[in-house]
Amino acid sequence: MNFYDFHVHSEFSEGESTIEEIANRAKLLGYKGICFTTYLDDKNKIKKTKEIVSKLSKQIGIEIFIGFEARNMSELDKLIRFRREYDVLLVKGSDLLLNRKAVETKEVDILTHPEYNRRDSGFNHVMAQLATENNVAIEINFREILNSSKNTRANIMHKIKTNVEICKKYKVPVIICSGSVTHWQLKDPKILISMGCLLGLELKEAKKTISEIPENIIKMIKERQDEKWIRPGVKVV
Amino acid sequence: MKQKKLKTLKPTLREKERYVAFQVISEEGEEFNYSDLEAAIWNTMLDFLGEEGVSKTSVWLMKDCWDPKTQKGILRCNNKSVQEVIASLGLIDRLGDNRITFKILRLSGTIKSIREKL
Repeated sequence: MNFYDFHVHSEFSEGESTIEEIANRAKLLGYKGICFTTYLDDKNKIKKTKEIVSKLSKQIGIEIFIGFEARNMSELDKLIRFRREYDVLLVKGSDLLLNRKAVETKEVDILTHPEYNRRDSGFNHVMAQLATENNVAIEINFREILNSSKNTRANIMHKIKTNVEICKKYKVPVIICSGSVTHWQLKDPKILISMGCLLGLELKEAKKTISEIPENIIKMIKERQDEKWIRPGVKVV
Repeated sequence: MKQKKLKTLKPTLREKERYVAFQVISEEGEEFNYSDLEAAIWNTMLDFLGEEGVSKTSVWLMKDCWDPKTQKGILRCNNKSVQEVIASLGLIDRLGDNRITFKILRLSGTIKSIREKL
């Protein structure tokens, strides 16, 4: 089974470790591919990241993707405009309007931690139906659980469990990511699967979240980067 | 005086065990001993699962299987709480001042087979 982690921050975004350190660690832990997530700040940084990534991918023998995480509406609109130039589009969850916009947009691949910094879970049945229609995956972020403790961790896990239950009912794709900012926070795929089970997923479903669902996203990436592709649902025959 | 040994339970009454082989990945040159690791695992599991939760797992870090050179070891638990134990290992990110991470090598039902394939 091939495992993927689609939410990793390197030193080019908010992370501390270099791309090389993270890629080597991912290979050691048995991942087939990872996605480096950056923010839309500086276009020079993005060029540099792309250069390093293409070199390292062959050198280390791991698939590396580049993703953008939109933090607000205007960033999301800008990112949709040049959607073909990068691989994965993530939306940073927490703001209710942004969460809603993310699940309404076909170009978005992943809505990251919708419950982040919120008192409620940030995700409901209406959003779930939209996410299924538009094939937007909902993320379970391991770093959120790892970096919290005691009552905060309990609250976060409760909110994630609520979201997982809704996702199961409406057949929304769920994806588990480490959300790591250093290579030490990158976790073994079996650990992520186990955490998925504790959060309410069946073992089969938990395995899917880091193998089959990322693979579907990769299929979409390849389709999108094909010359015949025009926009979601439209391509030259 | 020798203590009387308890009669062994019937196989159907015994708890089904699972063995989790793991490796501690740390910064270069760092070696950890059994007691450090045992303390870290117990503390994290008690924090995460609570006393009642840990009592259900029957977790035990096997002393004779810990190899400080390769940093590989075996954890024993019951078959119903494998996911809880593995998830708890993922929440250990420090051992003393050192940053660590766990790599799960293998899961098995018998100690013999896990030792052979380790």
